[in-house]
Amino acid sequence: MVRFVLSRALKAVLTVWIAITSTFFLLRLLPGDPTTLMVEGDMTPEMQAALLKTYGLDRPLWEQYVSYLRELIQGNLGISFRQIQPVTDIILDRLPWTLLLAGCAFVLTVAVGIPIGVTAAVNRGKWLDRALQGFGISANALFVPSVAILLLVFFGAQLGWFPIGGAIDPDTRGTAAYLSLAHHLVLPVLSLVLVQLGPYALTLRTNMIEVLGEDYIRAAQARGLSARRRVWKHGLRNAILPALTLMGLQLGTLVGGAVLTETVFAYPGVGRLIYEAVGQQDYPVIQGAFIMLAVTVVFANALTDMLYAVLNPRIRL
Amino acid sequence: MAVKGRWRLAVALGVVAALGVSGCGLNEDNSSSGGTSSDAVLRIGTTTDVSNFNPLQSLSKTDSWILNAMYPHLLRIDENAQKAPELAKEYRYEDDGKTAVFVLRDDFRWTDGKPVVADDVKFSAEKIMEYKLGNVAAKLTWVESVEAPDPTTVTFKLSQPYAPFAEGVGFWMPIVPKHVFEPAGDLSKFPNDSNWVGAGPFVLESMTKGQRYVMKRNEHYPLAPEGKAAVSQVEYRVYPDVNTMMLALRNGDIDLMGTPVPVSAAKTFENDDKIKLAKVGALGFAHLTYNMKNEHLADQAVRQALSMSVDTKAIISAVLQGDGQQMAGPISPIFSEYDNTGIEPYPFDPEGAKAKLSAAGYRDANNDGFFDELSFGVTCDQSNANITRVVQLFRESAAQAGIKLENECVERNTFLTRTRNGEYDIDASQWGVFDNPMDQLRSTYLSSNPGGINYNLLESPEMDALINDAASTTDPEAFKAKIKNIDRVVHEQAYLTPLYVENFQFAYNASKFTGFIPSPSDLLGMVTAYSLAHVTPVK
Repeated sequence: MVRFVLSRALKAVLTVWIAITSTFFLLRLLPGDPTTLMVEGDMTPEMQAALLKTYGLDRPLWEQYVSYLRELIQGNLGISFRQIQPVTDIILDRLPWTLLLAGCAFVLTVAVGIPIGVTAAVNRGKWLDRALQGFGISANALFVPSVAILLLVFFGAQLGWFPIGGAIDPDTRGTAAYLSLAHHLVLPVLSLVLVQLGPYALTLRTNMIEVLGEDYIRAAQARGLSARRRVWKHGLRNAILPALTLMGLQLGTLVGGAVLTETVFAYPGVGRLIYEAVGQQDYPVIQGAFIMLAVTVVFANALTDMLYAVLNPRIRL
Repeated sequence: MAVKGRWRLAVALGVVAALGVSGCGLNEDNSSSGGTSSDAVLRIGTTTDVSNFNPLQSLSKTDSWILNAMYPHLLRIDENAQKAPELAKEYRYEDDGKTAVFVLRDDFRWTDGKPVVADDVKFSAEKIMEYKLGNVAAKLTWVESVEAPDPTTVTFKLSQPYAPFAEGVGFWMPIVPKHVFEPAGDLSKFPNDSNWVGAGPFVLESMTKGQRYVMKRNEHYPLAPEGKAAVSQVEYRVYPDVNTMMLALRNGDIDLMGTPVPVSAAKTFENDDKIKLAKVGALGFAHLTYNMKNEHLADQAVRQALSMSVDTKAIISAVLQGDGQQMAGPISPIFSEYDNTGIEPYPFDPEGAKAKLSAAGYRDANNDGFFDELSFGVTCDQSNANITRVVQLFRESAAQAGIKLENECVERNTFLTRTRNGEYDIDASQWGVFDNPMDQLRSTYLSSNPGGINYNLLESPEMDALINDAASTTDPEAFKAKIKNIDRVVHEQAYLTPLYVENFQFAYNASKFTGFIPSPSDLLGMVTAYSLAHVTPVK
């Protein structure tokens, strides 16, 4: 088990390094540089050169890369070009909001996706299964910003049930603040869950159908185990393994979805930070945010793999 | 049971994590309380967070909305795009235009009680020059020294006369408190992100990043009718998506949109009794600019023919739904004193354009309907929906004149890089803000390309001479005549085809607030210091 964990950790570090390197070079392959967006002011070429020097962008690429890695190892993500603040501070300021949003959406997707997938599988071919499949396929085709704006228009503007954007009413304190937080969280979470739920429930349904046809389920039936116990204990434990992998992968798309969701809902997370930083070509912020997201996704996947090993001992070989 | 137990544990951990995270978020809130309905809090929608609180350095439009209300300027821009007194009561030129003298009001106070004095102005200008800060540094190019002989007089000694010097510096340069900024040392690294001291009608008090910025009223602001603003607090709330911001306005979450309402969405407010739209003209304009390094575009006949192939009236009608003004030369009608009304826009006449090109020797040897050598790419920023549509219409109408155009609209950064490097035939874009015609002509036509936006890549000694001569003319009437002459020359040469001056519409909740004094363009629009100082709650 220790060897397994070590090998997974090493792979995770390698993946993060690849992510860091490709982010670094891809950003610099973009046309223009951070001064490009400032050319419309009265910015003379001398001022642009001075700015590039301040940013360290006048140095050879490999030199910038080595210096970036050196700083990164010391936990320094650099200083934002636009905000003149350490990137680490900027990201840590926003990270809790994204974790909250993506975390809630993730938990809810799993909590709703499992019963839907299992119910559809158990009722295979019946109207309930067909309805759930229809929902899953439709949800799969949804586009986050469109769902988000529709939810806002209907539940926010028309019915007035939920606030239009923001994460919390800054004037509230104590319990009221927590309620305000939850109130603001409903629509963004819902839009993420709606988009994520389809593939998750459909995968679980397929796995479950496969598992329910296995010999050991029939054996359990022969032993006189109740249908509930057969499905939820013996069936689900095996059907959930591939779905678990999907959950790890989905965390990546969840975070990606948060960029758009947070923008539409004016939610102050890392996703919106990326949206703003890309528009300003603020390299250190984009790099920092991407590295942080890469680490999150890699960590989640490594965790999934380990959880997989716990649930299925054959993986440890 | 073991599996069930593990899942329970996982769910429990998730809930704890979520609550813990939310707890962190709540603890981060460092905003003040307040904002009860009786306090007359004006809530304004902005599109992004403040990126830089140092007004000398910030280059962001949305930053300036907040910073403009905090730090005074010598001059402001009024509804008619004229410069009006703000901190400066008046200005004059001495020494044949080589010295600009500003006389300051003596009743402005910083919020810590100290008076705003000439030394603050001198300090601000000198630091901008020393560290080459923001876009004001370019406005101070001609300054040799700044003096503050007494607390209400500032003199700028110039290396040569520059007619709109005082206007440019007066409008663009924020004045910061010397006693607060000087101890910070290197101002290029000074974030100025707490304990704000300002002298505008409102000063930042707290912020919840990503959500809102709370500004408290300055109890001593001499330009407000009652000596202080009628609104006690201004709150900026961040909505990155303009559609969400519109919903927030409709829902009563905000009272004013800082950003203009898109033309296509303005109609949606028509049936709303509470929401009103205030309309202002732009300080820039949309245009097609021809790259003079292209051998055919260097031919005046081709440029004139292209100008005759653009149906600007149809463009204004289709793209702006009629909400824009036509232009003739490069000077916007908003600068009525400088706009040469004696010149007419090129008529939309594709047949006439064809005849002109034939007369100039161009031929269609292969009979494909296009002149053989006249094929150009039109580059634009595809994130600008209006300009992208213009390029489509231009392509169709130019085809009628036998000129083949390719749509080369690209992503914004690629577009800006191409324009910077001169990699285009025709540039379709929109000038942002020109606060005076002289700065515009210098930036767009001087061979030395001081602003990097001479998109024609024009290198004409004649045009350089005309511009430099006008720039050093201190007599106002002679200066206007010279600008009008350049307007005529550019029009005759058809260096560019001006398309339209857009109108911007700002939406606000008229059932709650009134008294806004909008300024032209979307640079500050409804949220100038002067406008916010005049807003009153509806009783």
